[in-house]
Amino acid sequence: MITTSRPRLLRTLTGVAVAALLTLAGLAVTTPAHAADDSKPIKVAMFNDIDTFNPFTAVLLQSTGINRYQYEALVGYGRNSEPDAGVADKWETSEDGITWTFHIPKDRKWSDGKAITADDVVYTYTSIMKTSALQAANGGLVTNIADVKATDPQTVVMTLKSAQAPNPGQEIPIVPKHVWERQDAAKFAADKDVVGSGPFTITSYKTGQSVQLKANPNFWRGEPKVSGVTYVAYKNSDAAVQGLKSGEVDIADGLTPAQYDSLKGAKNIARHAGIGRRYQALAINPGAIDIDGKPMGDGNPALKDPKLRKAIFMAVDKKTLLDRVLQGLGDLGQTEVPKSYENFFGFADGYQEVPFDLDGANKLLDEAGYKKGSNGIREDKDGKPLKFRLMGRNTEPAHAQMADFLTSWFKEIGIGLDVSMVTPDKVNEDSTLGKYDLYFTGWSLGPDPDNQLAMNTCASRPNADGSGNTSENNWCSPEFDAAFKAQHAELDEGKRQELVKKAFSILYDAYVSDPIWYIKPLEAYRSDHFTGFGLQPEKGGVILNQNGYWGLYGAKPAGSDSASDDDGGLPGWVIPVGAIVVIAAAGGAIVASRRRSTAQDRE
Amino acid sequence: MTVIETVPADSEDTRGSSLPRYLALKAGGALISLALVVVLGFFMFRIIPGDPAINMTRGRQVSPGEVERLRQEMGLDQPLLVQFWRFVRDLFTGDLGTSYVYRRPVTDLIGDYIGPTLLLTGTAAIISVALGLWLGQKAAWRRGSWFDKIHTGVALVFWSVPTFWLGLLLLLVFGGGLGWFPTGGMSTAASTDTGMAHVLDVAHHLVLPVVTMVAVIYAQYLMVMRASVLEEMSADYLTTARAKGLREDLVRTRHAVPNALLPTVTLIFLTLGLLIAGTVTVETVFSWPGLGYLMYKGLSAPDFPLVQGCFVVFSAAVIVMNFIADLLYRVLDPRLKSS
Repeated sequence: MITTSRPRLLRTLTGVAVAALLTLAGLAVTTPAHAADDSKPIKVAMFNDIDTFNPFTAVLLQSTGINRYQYEALVGYGRNSEPDAGVADKWETSEDGITWTFHIPKDRKWSDGKAITADDVVYTYTSIMKTSALQAANGGLVTNIADVKATDPQTVVMTLKSAQAPNPGQEIPIVPKHVWERQDAAKFAADKDVVGSGPFTITSYKTGQSVQLKANPNFWRGEPKVSGVTYVAYKNSDAAVQGLKSGEVDIADGLTPAQYDSLKGAKNIARHAGIGRRYQALAINPGAIDIDGKPMGDGNPALKDPKLRKAIFMAVDKKTLLDRVLQGLGDLGQTEVPKSYENFFGFADGYQEVPFDLDGANKLLDEAGYKKGSNGIREDKDGKPLKFRLMGRNTEPAHAQMADFLTSWFKEIGIGLDVSMVTPDKVNEDSTLGKYDLYFTGWSLGPDPDNQLAMNTCASRPNADGSGNTSENNWCSPEFDAAFKAQHAELDEGKRQELVKKAFSILYDAYVSDPIWYIKPLEAYRSDHFTGFGLQPEKGGVILNQNGYWGLYGAKPAGSDSASDDDGGLPGWVIPVGAIVVIAAAGGAIVASRRRSTAQDRE
Repeated sequence: MTVIETVPADSEDTRGSSLPRYLALKAGGALISLALVVVLGFFMFRIIPGDPAINMTRGRQVSPGEVERLRQEMGLDQPLLVQFWRFVRDLFTGDLGTSYVYRRPVTDLIGDYIGPTLLLTGTAAIISVALGLWLGQKAAWRRGSWFDKIHTGVALVFWSVPTFWLGLLLLLVFGGGLGWFPTGGMSTAASTDTGMAHVLDVAHHLVLPVVTMVAVIYAQYLMVMRASVLEEMSADYLTTARAKGLREDLVRTRHAVPNALLPTVTLIFLTLGLLIAGTVTVETVFSWPGLGYLMYKGLSAPDFPLVQGCFVVFSAAVIVMNFIADLLYRVLDPRLKSS
């Protein structure tokens, strides 16, 4: 009799369970994302890894980005990436450019309330200069510094080995001596209860999960308007977009054009496409040479001909690539300086961009003696078909898309392409060793172009085995080197800008690297939670991933009106827990009923 | 009757003496496997393209000799055999080296990440095994019925669905869309919850990744259990049980299922090891802070100590589970004990 009643019991229990689940689900669906208020930190989606928060050794983008919020350099970057007050508010340079003097005002305090003095600066700089283990992050920035001393608690004097235009007070985070001298500075994790000078300081870090920062009440520009920042680790940007929709994070960057499009019209979400500081280029192997001037790699020897390289430049329709691959979310490339650095952007007088002109390219190649074979592919001087390898990163969908366009255009000028998309490491290694014909390259630039220029000098070429320095194209030009040296030592800002443009124009005119576009970083944020983000550049710049801390420092809660959204619905965990409880209850009932039945049917 | 006659009278003594030998044999095999893994793990990852020192300094202004200094620090300037010797020597002291990227001992890093992986895979494995076995024996018992067709069909569909796709779909619908479940992580960032509230928070975060894993893996348990029960269904002892007047579900649960479980046990433990090693996708989709993702990051550096360490841990998991499967099989199947 019991056996016939069990299905009914099961059906009843199942019905109860489903009803309970649906009820709980219905309740939870009404649970809105919590609106921001003064007590809540702003939550930022974080995609990249953190190596360490030790400012002496942190090199990964995410770590150095977070450290920008914690530690001021002597000289910071303003809203337009111009040199601006940091630990020092004033500085001057001797006429010969050798002696730099920095003045620290008396109102500068660490987050623990102690005064920031010249001793902190001297400790930071000399630690890097004297200890190789502390040079991992900024060792290259102190090579030209001969001496750093404090003439009084408010004054730092730096003596350089030779004159340099880039301000030696920038980029190096100043750490509190009273905290760091008690630690093994090379091994100090600095990831908990940090003492810093920036607008926010880290309170805790959960490896691979989150980083929490709180507002620094002693920040000299004034305490931030939000209580803190929480970085939430995401391993893929699709999930972060969903997190943004559900209100788990307040802001995310690094979105793809497709993700950016998908957020169009999304409730309470604002999208932002800022001016980027990264260029995307097509690099051509002009005959790579190592530091000793010996050929390296296996680049096609035909590409040593500048006319052939120029014809390749002419066969790249940047406008179409920008419109079709990036959906227009970028600016057209010129030199390697992105548009966000207006002062250094563009060609110098006397130089101009090579226009997209397939007929012109064909004519140029005809004149240069590259005749087309029966299959429409031209032949080099040795009668070999002009077929080049094109390498891109398999992690960048845009590279494969660009390669498709290039294949078609190059075919029209009689050049074949053999496209391969490989891992970023493979691209790094092969490009360093000169094992390529063409490849997609791209770099993010800091506000000062010196580093990007230095990478293209003869001295930056690597050793034969790829070790040593990093060069962009293993290329060497005395004319470029002269322009580099001139701008490096020019202290007059206006004159230097022209010299920088000239150096980049020389590089362009060698037809080695053709900047295609400057991508706009795509960001989105919860407009119902926070507002007031400070852009860099001030007009149309980015919120996150700046050269400064303006983005989140300017953030403030969106207003009390959105707070009414919170109707006190059930917390999210109610569903799984409810489900477990209901299922457990149903399971218990079934077990009980089975016990009763088996007792009667025992063998 | 025949079986009883072939068992020697002193079978108890034989079992007693053969167990240590059996154990030693299996443990020896496991140790040899582990040693091979260590060798393979070291040399296999050395063929990954990319020089760690160059990759780590690329894009930065490095002082002359900085790359060389890094190479020396990492020991990359030494011949491969010297590097291997150091790796093996350190391994015996439990030192898996220092991560190039994170600049922390690899054992510390693995310690940080292994807990979440075990929680995720453990939960998914328990549910998958329970669900797969239960549905499998039911489906076999009702062979050809709608229950059988629907459940085997559904399981096979999930089995063939790409994990990444399924995970993203769940994330899209139940994460960002309906907002029922978190879109990433193991707990709510910046939450101050402790005790039971924290446990519930973690459970909430666990739902979608576990559902994804279960959906993809329970099919294999279902299929093996189904096949196993089907094989048992023709056995004479079931006819005997029925002849004794036992109800059909008791014939199934008390007689057929326990015997059918034998071949399934090995599969369960073998796949448990593989599960731990196969969490990369799920951990990536749901931003779960586990070992799978750590290894993926290590590979992209390439961070040799990290990938070697993770590889050893993953392989050890498979080997240990294999060893347990061998032992359990012997315990569960009396025929093995006496043979």
